[in-house]
Amino acid sequence: MKNRLWKKIMAGSLAAAMMVSLTACGGGESTGSAGGSSETEAAQTGAETATSERETVTVRMGRQTLQNAKLPDGDTYEDNAYTRMAEKELNIDIVDEFEANGEDYDRQVSLALSAGDIPDIMKVGSLDELEELYENDLIADLTNVYETYASDNLKAIYDSYGGRALANVTYDDKIMAIPATNADSGPSIVWVRSDWMDSLGMKVDEDGDSCITIEELETIAKTFMEKNPGGADNVVGIALASWITSGDPDGTYTMNSVAYALNAFPKTWYERDGQLIYGSTTEEMKEALAVAARWFDEGLLDPQVGTRTWDDITALLANGQTGVTFGTWHIPDWLLNNIYAMDNNARFAAYAVETADGKVNCKHNDATAGYMVVSKQFEHPEIVVELANLFYDRLANDPSLLETYPEVAEYQKQGVDGSTRPMNVEINSYNSLLEGFGQLQACLNGEITVDEVKSTEEKSNYEGITAYLEGSGDATGWAKYHSRLGGVGLIQKLTDDDTFEWLTPVFPRTTSTMETNWANLEKLEEETFIKIVTGVLDVEEGFNQYVSDWKSQGGDTIIAEITEQMH
Amino acid sequence: MIDNKSVGSRVRIRVTYGIVFLLGLICLLPLLNILSISLSSSAAVSANRVGLLPVDFTVAAYRKIIDDSQFWKSFGISVTRVILALILNLAVTVPMAYPLTKSVREFKARNIYMNLLIFAMLFNGGMIPTFILVRNLGLLNTIWALILPGALPIFNVILLMNFFLGIPHSLEEAAIIDGANPFQVLLRILIPCAKPCIATVSLFSIVGSWNDFFSGLIYIQKPEKYPIMTYIQSLSVDIQELLKSGASVNALENVTELSNRNLNAAKIVVAVIPLLLIYPFLQRYLITGIVMGSVKE
Repeated sequence: MKNRLWKKIMAGSLAAAMMVSLTACGGGESTGSAGGSSETEAAQTGAETATSERETVTVRMGRQTLQNAKLPDGDTYEDNAYTRMAEKELNIDIVDEFEANGEDYDRQVSLALSAGDIPDIMKVGSLDELEELYENDLIADLTNVYETYASDNLKAIYDSYGGRALANVTYDDKIMAIPATNADSGPSIVWVRSDWMDSLGMKVDEDGDSCITIEELETIAKTFMEKNPGGADNVVGIALASWITSGDPDGTYTMNSVAYALNAFPKTWYERDGQLIYGSTTEEMKEALAVAARWFDEGLLDPQVGTRTWDDITALLANGQTGVTFGTWHIPDWLLNNIYAMDNNARFAAYAVETADGKVNCKHNDATAGYMVVSKQFEHPEIVVELANLFYDRLANDPSLLETYPEVAEYQKQGVDGSTRPMNVEINSYNSLLEGFGQLQACLNGEITVDEVKSTEEKSNYEGITAYLEGSGDATGWAKYHSRLGGVGLIQKLTDDDTFEWLTPVFPRTTSTMETNWANLEKLEEETFIKIVTGVLDVEEGFNQYVSDWKSQGGDTIIAEITEQMH
Repeated sequence: MIDNKSVGSRVRIRVTYGIVFLLGLICLLPLLNILSISLSSSAAVSANRVGLLPVDFTVAAYRKIIDDSQFWKSFGISVTRVILALILNLAVTVPMAYPLTKSVREFKARNIYMNLLIFAMLFNGGMIPTFILVRNLGLLNTIWALILPGALPIFNVILLMNFFLGIPHSLEEAAIIDGANPFQVLLRILIPCAKPCIATVSLFSIVGSWNDFFSGLIYIQKPEKYPIMTYIQSLSVDIQELLKSGASVNALENVTELSNRNLNAAKIVVAVIPLLLIYPFLQRYLITGIVMGSVKE
């Protein structure tokens, strides 16, 4: 890996040298690191120890942006309420080296790498990238600055992951990045049109544990199909997106909840009896596919499964062609709200699908997603930790900060996207979802007042939900009511009742065989699954053939490679 | 003529027209669909109810575009880019093509230049070296980064060169006998004769720089400086990827609010208008331009 990147860089700089000499024009910028800048404006606060002592530092950053960040007119990613606050608090001057959306950002990172000049601070998306940067000695060791500068609260956030978060970014006992955290997101929830169930006088979940069996799920879908309470043409029982399963436990528009209920964990690496296995190749997965194939055969499953896109399924729901779907706890906020926009009577109930012994299978997420790295050339690596302190500790815990910077408070109220923060990653404690929900619920029950609710987000959730419950018909309130009281409420209940059965998967780094063969194996998996579900292939034969193909086309090697990685 | 048309040939013509008509439809229908989507209510669009005709006709999306400052900024950048690129392209294509029409006897280094051109047409530095070059020249985030790398369209040079070769040589000789120098020959004789071909290469240049979104993604590192097609490209969102990358709920809300197919369709429609306006004027030259340029004596 090391050689590969070096070759890239060498070839790049050689070509650059040639081209520059050809055009006889050695243009431009100095490549040295940004040192202290000329401005000697007095430091405004004494809150941070190091901050007040140093001169204004120019920080060149790589920023991953989001479409529709909702910045007020005149504000940009480089100059907005968040950056202004950071610049003032930390006595720095933020200059964006490059900005781009999603994948385009990754490309800019690669280009910066090949040009041999990475920004002082930037975000990288994957552990593979982080590892490459580390092996090529381009990023700074943050162990000391983390120990020295990280506030107790920030440390507590990382500690809430039981060391898993920092372990991901630690190489040879050195912390090489400030990671974004990635808390567990819960199961893939079954969302059922409860207004339809009421109008048909249906009852499910008699024992009130918020869990339904696969049979109950089938009954709901069948009844909806027969009675067609939505009065739609071309009624569909259950619709799935073309990828059918997901590697995320909460996979939206997938059959994950059914698979998990049958103890199958598609697209997941985990150990069983000391052996590493790939969830999509297990006997349990075969059973899950057999269920879907039976649905297809009985006409319960959408006949067009395999060609449905994301938008198609949203459309099926919005048209009232189907009233059952699967997804993560927050889909009411950004997907199901489309259904409310079409039909103001739409209500959804959230259920989990239970296993034969009444448990709900779920798996842990990897503790990190997204990594802030600091260039080795940068003289003030502590700034990245100070930024993290500012945004994830002080901004969350110190109300006086919002009073000093009212425009930041206004941003939070208006829902300006978090990616406009100079640290555009999420760092939240492992339990933040349920803690926030606890406060929201306490507030709704009148146990605490709105002012006692800590986060701005939960405050606005409270306001939206109360308005909705008072009958305002507010769409945001509808969404928050469903996502929080429905989605998170379900996760809270399953946690309280101890219904969850957690799987801790293995999260492998991309191995060399994966680099060459994984795309094909994924294609093999998805194509075979579609064929099995639609009855083109026999469940038994088709699946066994797939497993042996999967193994011979690199699967076995990959398992060996990952096992090696783990030890 | 009419006598020559047997029943068989008439049937053949009908069938050919039928096929051409179908092919035309294949090109036209998606455009029509985008147009109807842009003119439908966004609820109808998200319910997949819009086909070839607008459902719940509304121009709300177009009203929204009027207020979208970034759209117009990018639009302006693209217009400037197209004009600058066109001027620059013609300014280098024409003087490059003319000397290359001379024989090796008249212009000794002709073949060296020709081979260099062909070499550069077939091989180029690739994305990363070109990026580093543009970066070291200090062109990143300027409009020149979008124009200069494509300033000399070699294909157009060859097209124009062949067109020049197709113009009767005696015209040029007559001018020389009358005392014209090479510049006068080019300006007074060849360029007026080559108008169809110049119109064609202009069209290529305009369409090429208007539609190009990729160089914007590479060389422009601030979204507010994106040209129009890069801007439109950046509106497409891969929600699945976003979910995987651990995006916050707030981010998902903001993004899905934007992934408004109805508004995006309207943006596409507005962005195509300039080309639709230019095409009819230049299109009549297109066939003569290319065909004449492709044969030489």
